[in-house]
Amino acid sequence: MKRLFGIFVNGLIVENALFVIMIGLCSAMAVTTTVANGIGMGVALTFVLVMSELIISLFRNLIPGSIRMPIFLIVIAAFTTIMDLEMKAYFPVLSKSMGVFIPLVVVNCIIMGRVEAFSSKQPVLDAVFDGLGMGIGYTWVLIAISVVRELLGNGTLLGRQIMPSSFAPMIFFILPPGGFLVFALWMAASNDLRRRLLAGRKPEPTQDSCCTLPDNGSAEKA
Amino acid sequence: MKRWQMIKLGLILAMYTIVGCVGLAFVYNSTSKTIAQRQEADLQAGLREVFPKATGFTPTDTVKSTNPTIVFDAAYTANGPSGSLGIAVKVHGPSYGGPTTLIVGVSIDGTITGVKVLENKDTPGLGANAASPTYYVDKASKTTFSGQFAGKKLTDGFVVKKDVIAITSATITSRAITNLVQAVGKAASEVLGTGSSSPSPSAVLPSADTVRTSSKPATSSVPGVSILETSVGTKAGTIVGASAKAKAKNYDGEVTVLVGVSTDGTILGVQILECTDSQGSPILAPEFAQQFAGKKAGAPLEVGTNIDAASGATSSSRGATALVKATADALVKALAGGGL
Repeated sequence: MKRLFGIFVNGLIVENALFVIMIGLCSAMAVTTTVANGIGMGVALTFVLVMSELIISLFRNLIPGSIRMPIFLIVIAAFTTIMDLEMKAYFPVLSKSMGVFIPLVVVNCIIMGRVEAFSSKQPVLDAVFDGLGMGIGYTWVLIAISVVRELLGNGTLLGRQIMPSSFAPMIFFILPPGGFLVFALWMAASNDLRRRLLAGRKPEPTQDSCCTLPDNGSAEKA
Repeated sequence: MKRWQMIKLGLILAMYTIVGCVGLAFVYNSTSKTIAQRQEADLQAGLREVFPKATGFTPTDTVKSTNPTIVFDAAYTANGPSGSLGIAVKVHGPSYGGPTTLIVGVSIDGTITGVKVLENKDTPGLGANAASPTYYVDKASKTTFSGQFAGKKLTDGFVVKKDVIAITSATITSRAITNLVQAVGKAASEVLGTGSSSPSPSAVLPSADTVRTSSKPATSSVPGVSILETSVGTKAGTIVGASAKAKAKNYDGEVTVLVGVSTDGTILGVQILECTDSQGSPILAPEFAQQFAGKKAGAPLEVGTNIDAASGATSSSRGATALVKATADALVKALAGGGL
């Protein structure tokens, strides 16, 4: 149980997909103009990630190594399409505002990365907890970025007016450069926290080779 | 051995694909009905919004778009208690961040009954305000951007920042939506037989008391310019001028103008009748066409020197000016040649 919890927590900060592994950034920039979009995208990705990791871990011994990539893609694409259809049917407003980014979950590097590096080699339960951890790690970052961008850029939160009417929205934060700035500031804060968490502790070797943690606390893609 | 291995891998891949497809088929079956209902409900709500008094809507296919970038997805006749109230069109066309979809209602008396933004992918906080019910272009009267079109006459200019209030920092979105509304208005008014009546040549031949179709059409030597109709204006039996409707390719669409020239070679009046350029609607404003009146047909007409470009549509302005010049030259030649 402690091991599973460790896997789950790992994705939140220490090995956060966006801030540490730094994959799946494009969607994180594009959808975070409003909090609702950020939550929606985060939940959508978490769903696809957990389901794909579950299925691929379940069948990991039945997937020949030489054709694993196409099989991963079939599984990921199937779950993305399922989610796209469900969202269109039951959350039409959200589905409209996220537009093209939902189908693009298929090619989100986070899913392919985790499936290849983790769930294709690990037991089912571990894979599910990894998916949850990585998915929630992605979601909190999207929410953190979009709260700042929506509040400063539009004066609202979840569509509700928060700032006094005298506040002039800073359009900069809605536009891409503002996205990069907010992203970088959050990354600095998160990585500072991560360094403190890891301080004095020799980093355990991670189960995958995707990203190793050198002693100085900075992560680099392999 | 190797071939057998390949076949085996192919079969395994096929198995995964089949399982995936069957799963998708089930989900599709269970959601397709709900999705179709949602879209239908969206559409009906939009139609009701532009025609609140209508008792029902009948699909019609008589309304046609003349601009290839503006697509009419569906058109409906709004039925009232006593006959048709007008036409509602679901239309989509390019905007800043991708296609935007609207429902536009046009009443039989030639006014826009309402505009509803169904889909808009423009920048949140800027262009996306077009769809916001709480973003007011006129805070005093609580008029939203799309709300300002309600009651607007089709004969208006539809020029952003003149008779249409723009969304702050989102001129492209404002213009795109205005263009769509105007395109629907024009197409619908043709079907309804209202709107602006076909432009009459007498409008650009103010000095004439009778205007008749010319027996010898004017021709232009400028390639790409086609003269559609030539008319002659007479006063007490003598020819005082001639007018022509001409058409040419422009920036990314076509422009049609009506030009009137007096016998002494002065441009009497110009009307820009139509412009299908994607950003070309500013040149339809009367202010642009009025600049030509009084200019000599023989003298050079050039945007930037003696003609001011309509703001935001410099390329379209240039093309229209060249067409006016070519048409005026052709008319001068025809008047000199006689036998009109």
